[in-house]
Amino acid sequence: MKKYFNLFIFSVVLLSSCIDEPEMQPNTYKGNFEALWQIINTKYCYIDYKNINWDSIHTAYKSRVDTVSSNLRFFDLMGSMLNELKDGHVNLYSDFDKSRYWKWFTDYPDNFSSSLINSNRYLGDDYRMAGGFRYKTINNGTIGYMYYDDFSDSFSDANMAYILKSFSACKGLIIDVRNNGGGYLDLSEKLASYFFTEEKTTGYICYKTGSGHSDFSKPAAIKTPAHKTIQWQRLVVVLTNRMSFSATNSFVSRMKLAPKATIVGDKTGGGGGLPLSSELPNGWLVRFSAEPMYDAEMQHIEWGISPTVKVDMSATDEANGYDTIIEKAISLIK
Amino acid sequence: MKKTILVSCLLFVYVILWAENPNDQKYLLTTNVNSFGFSTIDMTDPYLSPTNYSGIGLNYTHENRRFLKLENTTFSMQNKLGFASGLMLNPTGNSALTYLGVNYGWGINYHFRLEKGIRILAGGLWDIDLGFKDMARNINNPVNVDLSTNLNLTGLLQYDIPTHRRTMRLEMALQTPIIGCMYVPLGGASYYDMFELGSFTNAIHASTLFNKRGLVQTYAISIPFNQVVWRFGLHLNNLIYKANNMVFTKNEYSLLIGTTFDAIHFGGRKKTAPLNFISTNE
Repeated sequence: MKKYFNLFIFSVVLLSSCIDEPEMQPNTYKGNFEALWQIINTKYCYIDYKNINWDSIHTAYKSRVDTVSSNLRFFDLMGSMLNELKDGHVNLYSDFDKSRYWKWFTDYPDNFSSSLINSNRYLGDDYRMAGGFRYKTINNGTIGYMYYDDFSDSFSDANMAYILKSFSACKGLIIDVRNNGGGYLDLSEKLASYFFTEEKTTGYICYKTGSGHSDFSKPAAIKTPAHKTIQWQRLVVVLTNRMSFSATNSFVSRMKLAPKATIVGDKTGGGGGLPLSSELPNGWLVRFSAEPMYDAEMQHIEWGISPTVKVDMSATDEANGYDTIIEKAISLIK
Repeated sequence: MKKTILVSCLLFVYVILWAENPNDQKYLLTTNVNSFGFSTIDMTDPYLSPTNYSGIGLNYTHENRRFLKLENTTFSMQNKLGFASGLMLNPTGNSALTYLGVNYGWGINYHFRLEKGIRILAGGLWDIDLGFKDMARNINNPVNVDLSTNLNLTGLLQYDIPTHRRTMRLEMALQTPIIGCMYVPLGGASYYDMFELGSFTNAIHASTLFNKRGLVQTYAISIPFNQVVWRFGLHLNNLIYKANNMVFTKNEYSLLIGTTFDAIHFGGRKKTAPLNFISTNE
């Protein structure tokens, strides 16, 4: 009996060493820096794709951490480090600020004017609103125009059925997703489904399976189904600019394969990585791209999607009350 | 003649009552324990955050036990159903983790009667555990689900302390998982991958003592009062498990208050109540 008891005690002691809790970084500037660097090093999905030397960034910023004397300065420094990733999906959230990288649209033409689309030539004052869409027929009632500025703004089939019914006499439809910074991926799938006649694989997604920079799962197909009861089978033109980002980028990637769709405007802003979040010892939240998404040809969509017809807004048109991109869409539908 | 009839009637009634005297019929009693606990909890879920969250919680457990057969009082069957909730904060207090859990277990115990008033119950308990953890501020990974099933070793020591007015009972219960399986998602996978795209790669894991260790300890004293046996105690639940290169921990320390009572169950066609048990259905 004593032998078995000793064996039991020995087993318990032996097994107690099997699960080691990871050592947490201390809540100091250096500890938080190391924690942030390590989160990106093991979880960010574009380090190899973007040819980022993350080790050298560690070296460069580590020496600067020692000179930091306030939370504000430390936050700015960590924000700068994250901006080396050139990713609009990477943010650091503290109780007093949110770091961001905006060069994916600030370095490019706006290609959008809210005062223009709100002018009487387009939406005017008498547009209708349903489920986040502002919509109206334009060009003497021959073309349907809907503006959607946020993929977090949910809509229902009933919303879409009413909108498309109001466009039943139109030759085609314009969906304006310029300045739409994204939202929910399932809404991008849902909106695209009204323009497909059969299910298609419109992209792929991977997720990280390990801490290595290229430890990814096999690509999983992202499919866009055809909506069972509501399908727009006439021409549809999707308007894009650099601020069409994230879930909007995903929507445009799907719509490129819709049977009667044309993408018009500027290249989208990208944001092809599905973001996840983590936390630093000081409680700051970090958001980062964790899962790379691809188009149907397995090409990254992180840097944006080129339009079928590239059009920039003309200053002359704008001065005369015309939105060059909408006018191009009208001419394509005519 | 009248006297004879009266005596015969009284005798007849006595015989009927005697025949229905429950003291002569053996029944299996079910021992029920209901406990409420107020706890402190700390938890680490690296899928949601690498930081340890700590806070307070409430829990309720119903437990019952009865012998398998009237003729055999060495094996008993045990059922356990527990609900737990918790609200925890990170060390800097700017993020919250909400926890809701339910646990069901079924087990068999062998009764060792060492000497009068001292019993040891040892056996196994199969349990299934489901928990939801919500960290609202997270982006695309705001929720994680704990789902596992385990075969546990269980032990219970009962020690009766007779005093002048009552017999109190000290109890020490231990439970530890031995083998099972558990759901743990990959740290880099979102619930969009799992539920929209159906990618459950590396989400189901076998659990053994090498990757999951836990110890549930309960120390309680039951004190009979006039109508109720009150139970006071301490409940400790320590759990650590590892999968997909992530280490999850849960430590819960509860102060318990509850009651314990024996009951008998009648129902169905075969387990009907004797006539001297009055039901509300009468």
